[in-house]
Amino acid sequence: MTRARLNKILMSLVIGAAFLWLLIPFTMAVLWSLVDPSEPWTADQLLPPAMSFYRWTDMWQNSSLKPALVTSYALAPTAAVLTLCLALPTAYALGRYEFPGRELAKTLCLLPLVVPAFITAIFFSSILFQLGLAGNRFAAIVFAHAVLFLPYAIRILTVSFEQVRQDHIDAARDLGATPLARFRVAFVPALKPGISATLLIVFIQSIEEFAIAFIIGSPDVVTIPTLLYSALGQDFVRPNAAVLSLILVVPNVFLMLILERLMKSANPALSSGKG
Amino acid sequence: MGAIRISGVTKSFGEFQALSSISLEVAQGEFVTLLGPSGCGKTTLLKIISGFIEPTDGQIEIGGENVTRLPPEQRDTALCFQSYALFPHLTVRENLEFGLRQKKLGRDEIASRVRDVSTKLELAAQMDKLPNQLSGGQQQRVSLGRALVMRPSVILFDEPLSNLDAKLRDQVRIEIRRIQKDYDLTAIYVTHDQAEALAMSDRVVVLNQGRAEQIDTPERLYAAPATSFVADFIGSANVMEGTVLSADGAGLCTVETPIGVLEAKDAGVPPGAIRRLSWRPEKAQIGEPGLTATVTHRAFQGHFTDLTVDTGGTLYRVQTGRDDIREGDGITFALRPADIVFLEAVG
Amino acid sequence: MTLRRAATILLLLMPGLGLILALIGAVVYIAVAQSFGLYSLMGESAFSLAFWSDTMGKKAFDKAVRYSIYVGVLSAIFSVILAYPLAIWLRKPFAGSVTIGAVLKAPLLVHGLVAAFLYINIISYNGLLNQVMQGLGIWDGPKRLQNDRNAIGVLILQTWKNMPFALLLLTGAVQAISDDVLDAARDLGAGSWARFRKVIAPLTVSGLQAAMVIIFIGALADFSFQTIAGPTNRQSLAQLMVNFKGRGDWHSAAVVGVSMMAIALIGSALLAVAARMIMRGRLK
Ligand SMILES: Nc1ncnc2c1ncn2[C@@H]1O[C@H](COP(=O)(O)OP(=O)(O)O)[C@@H](O)[C@H]1O
Ligand SMILES: [Mg+2]
Repeated sequence: MTRARLNKILMSLVIGAAFLWLLIPFTMAVLWSLVDPSEPWTADQLLPPAMSFYRWTDMWQNSSLKPALVTSYALAPTAAVLTLCLALPTAYALGRYEFPGRELAKTLCLLPLVVPAFITAIFFSSILFQLGLAGNRFAAIVFAHAVLFLPYAIRILTVSFEQVRQDHIDAARDLGATPLARFRVAFVPALKPGISATLLIVFIQSIEEFAIAFIIGSPDVVTIPTLLYSALGQDFVRPNAAVLSLILVVPNVFLMLILERLMKSANPALSSGKG
Repeated sequence: MGAIRISGVTKSFGEFQALSSISLEVAQGEFVTLLGPSGCGKTTLLKIISGFIEPTDGQIEIGGENVTRLPPEQRDTALCFQSYALFPHLTVRENLEFGLRQKKLGRDEIASRVRDVSTKLELAAQMDKLPNQLSGGQQQRVSLGRALVMRPSVILFDEPLSNLDAKLRDQVRIEIRRIQKDYDLTAIYVTHDQAEALAMSDRVVVLNQGRAEQIDTPERLYAAPATSFVADFIGSANVMEGTVLSADGAGLCTVETPIGVLEAKDAGVPPGAIRRLSWRPEKAQIGEPGLTATVTHRAFQGHFTDLTVDTGGTLYRVQTGRDDIREGDGITFALRPADIVFLEAVG
Repeated sequence: MTLRRAATILLLLMPGLGLILALIGAVVYIAVAQSFGLYSLMGESAFSLAFWSDTMGKKAFDKAVRYSIYVGVLSAIFSVILAYPLAIWLRKPFAGSVTIGAVLKAPLLVHGLVAAFLYINIISYNGLLNQVMQGLGIWDGPKRLQNDRNAIGVLILQTWKNMPFALLLLTGAVQAISDDVLDAARDLGAGSWARFRKVIAPLTVSGLQAAMVIIFIGALADFSFQTIAGPTNRQSLAQLMVNFKGRGDWHSAAVVGVSMMAIALIGSALLAVAARMIMRGRLK
């Protein structure tokens, strides 16, 4: 049983490493966000000498955190719904029709993922200037996000459409169902998890997206990542950056855990839950 | 000295006992089959012999050497997988060469062995194809060839025919046996198909829930099953209970059974003992006086007809060459003393 | 009928694939055109090679190209080298393997900017690492670790963020190999190393290529790790491009952008070929 012992040793190593690369950094972030400005946390102290939620309330009242939250959380669902609507027809074609070039079409759908985001951002903004549309920053970001995250949506929904079983459609037809009833009985159950997964993944990606929001949005439109970026750069105040980091990370971790579940039911092969 | 000696091999997966004290000796050049229903432990025993599973207890000797703790890569065995397990990225030739290269044999030796096997298995035209370009039967032969080129002391087969269609199965069955004889290989063959086991084997090990029920030649298994499991599993014999009444001293005894008092060959069972008995459906002498029965079900099989008959409230299977018996008919039949086999004691 | 079918399919592909091709096509087209002086946003538009020769003649550009390739290649290699053994280890489930997998993949859930912040927090002048090293008596005084000259910080961040992604792809590839095939190799005498070289490596090469290419392109085009944690005496290509654009010099930004795409394309192809050459287990 040497393999079992080897596994034990490796497991302790990984857990130990995880301690270093996850737990300690996050504990530090939480502690920094709680530092009370009355007494600074100096290097010789293990814990901050005075802890309070001052930073949190201060950030909430006196920084651009509120508008950034509003922007981010308005942007993400709008982009998610738009992406879903744009992706459905293509996914239907890729999932339910056999045609020459289908594999090529599937591969081309991945293009936005390989072109570096800053290139897309800068030259999309150039296009906006050429067209004289540079003023509509919010709409421009929504549009760019919707197109940029289409690959995920198309991929997930294509698989969902592939999983719609022809015999269910045929059986419904055989039993005299109208097209609408056929759609309800054969398509909806197979598509539901895929649609939820799509909405969620685009939502998360859009909340996290930095390049487009930074290049096209600045200076008027501020999202949480761009706010965090400036908090890490020119106006670096460690406790404020800690607050922003936590606001960005914590909700998304929960959303991603839900996503993981959804993906498993939407598409067992695509899910990341393996191993 | 046997080519393989398995002594007291036991395997538990946690609480579950997959194999209980299996002992078996296989002679050089012998073809032995492990037969039993799904889940009885056949694959487990094969994997213990090839080294993928370590037994909880007992030992394995190959060619007189104790190999119980030897990893599979160091054992002189070759396994043919049910799934074929061909290397999908290698051509047929590279698949065949794989093991020989691991052995670091010389270039000429490898080439001559591969040529020999590919000719014998009629694979010469497929050598540069990848496995997914082959038919099922061809893949099966590559998997067989990959094991054969190793010239192992023991070749092991795990249900190698189960992915082939019925016609091809008969053909490959004959081919495997021919090659095994040609190379004088010692073989252990796993199947759940009793017809396959009877047709191919020198000896058969009948496994049931991790126990060896009987180890015997196909003929003996059929004629003289040792337990009701064997009697039922091989050729679906009728099994019933009987009490020995008396022996006449001249080789016959009388037994009281649910269908009446029958005469059987005296097997040395003392009077008063309760034993299970079996008799084969085709041994019923239909039309002879003796037992009366009503036909409840009839299935025409071509060269014979399967009948289910009701005798005194119990259903039995009988077979006949006659095709004039209908459902609902009353028939009479007799059993000859030699056709009644004593099985294990009851209780 | 078939014409109608083709039209239906094309129509269905329009809003999704059509839009992707339109946007990405337009972006690439504008980038290339602007790099040659066309579509000027300020002043005259005229075809010219001047922007290419000017930008390529700049020392900063040369440094940025080398620096970005350095970060891209090393990030891809480090991520894959760490992920490969882990993927093989996690191929078969065992008690605790799900937890281990989840812990290893956790960085996927953490935003890059947050990762950068966490990292800076640890290595800053009076951060945890400096304190621990001084406490252990290994270092005499605090060291300046932030924005180090060799971009070790950026490489650590890239690897931290991308290793889980490589692990995801490689675990999928490794798990797709059936137990029987590995057992067959073992049965034919292949030890652990031979099984890796001759079976696992060649059968997972496409997963490896995908992981390397995607990580390479991402790290090559990195902006945020570089500006936050990277060396201050040089710029990454993305940083250079953003800076040009910030100064209103769209044409030079376009030159950098097109170069970056070209490097991404050529570099990916080279990496993929290299991975295939190293990993292919064809018997000769
Ligand atoms: N690794 C294992 N862990 C637990 N139980 C196992 C394992 N391998 C096999 N078994 C159990 O042992 C029994 C015998 O399995 P096997 O040898 O594969 O049967 P078969 O005769 O069909 O080849 C089965 O009930 C199976 O569920
Ligand atoms: Mg089996």
